Amino acid sequence: MQKQDIYDWIARTLEETFEIEASRISLDARLYDDLDIDSIDAVDLIVKLQKHTGKRMQPDAFKSVRTVGDVVDAVHALLQQ
Amino acid sequence: MSTLNRMWRIGATGFCFGVFGLGGLVILCVLLPLLQLLPGRTRRRQAAKNTLHYGMRLFSGLMALVGVISYEVRGAEKLRRNGLFVLANHPSLIDVVLLMSLVRRPDCVVKAALWDNPFTCGPVRFAGFISNAGGPAVVDDCVASVRAGNNLIVFPEGTRSVPGQPLNLQRGAANIAVRGPLAITPVSISVSEPMLTKGSKWYRVPQRKPHFILTVHDDVHPDQLFDQEPALAARRLTDWLTQFFTRS
Repeated sequence: MQKQDIYDWIARTLEETFEIEASRISLDARLYDDLDIDSIDAVDLIVKLQKHTGKRMQPDAFKSVRTVGDVVDAVHALLQQ
Repeated sequence: MSTLNRMWRIGATGFCFGVFGLGGLVILCVLLPLLQLLPGRTRRRQAAKNTLHYGMRLFSGLMALVGVISYEVRGAEKLRRNGLFVLANHPSLIDVVLLMSLVRRPDCVVKAALWDNPFTCGPVRFAGFISNAGGPAVVDDCVASVRAGNNLIVFPEGTRSVPGQPLNLQRGAANIAVRGPLAITPVSISVSEPMLTKGSKWYRVPQRKPHFILTVHDDVHPDQLFDQEPALAARRLTDWLTQFFTRS
């Protein structure tokens, strides 16, 4: 998966799962401050990511994640392993 | 006369804080070690929670007796059950004391700092309350506690309300209800005078003696209200609860 594909999937999932307007989503958008994603939402998101990629992901891998761009990078790195 | 009454309530409030702190130390130094003698983990937990319930009943009575507050409960019989998930608004420091005095086997999500406070570390350890430091796992702990028959008290605001500001609910409580799924027993708390609000000093007692009214509402079943995915249902329920507690 290219970074652009990962971003598209995350943006779509944020819209569908949490009803976040597409206009608010960008690489720089901060999950907690800008998109109102809390830690429970983050777990939901990781579960969906695992289902989508078929790869197990530890929540720890997302510990230092702040923005949508950080998630894209973290997922990209995990898929490279 | 009102000055004298205020002076009295300042003294009485200080006295109540003293008794509360002393009670905390007694639990830490006497009851907590004694509890270990009781066989069976489940029995220990239940006995400790019930002990705290009776302690809070005594303490609520004491506060009313010395004239720090007066209070009334409407629909208290609805709380005489087990396995309740009690949600309440949070105008005052005293709310949790009053609620714990009304339900047997009280459980509560408590901020982690209380485990480090010498006066509260005894009671929170003794009763085995749920720390808010657990992150998303707190949701599962809460559901398990209610399923085990405890009466779990959660303040969806996560902290005391700011007087004059609109209620600001976190989504944790709604997530617990949606993911259980658990019925909610809402309790709305109103108080005639702001007392022990967030950031206020204990000795700045209100002009008049505050009167608390706790209204226990009928159970709400979120799974009958919202059928979306959990993340969305929790958002809808949070909005619903915000309106509910703002109205009542």
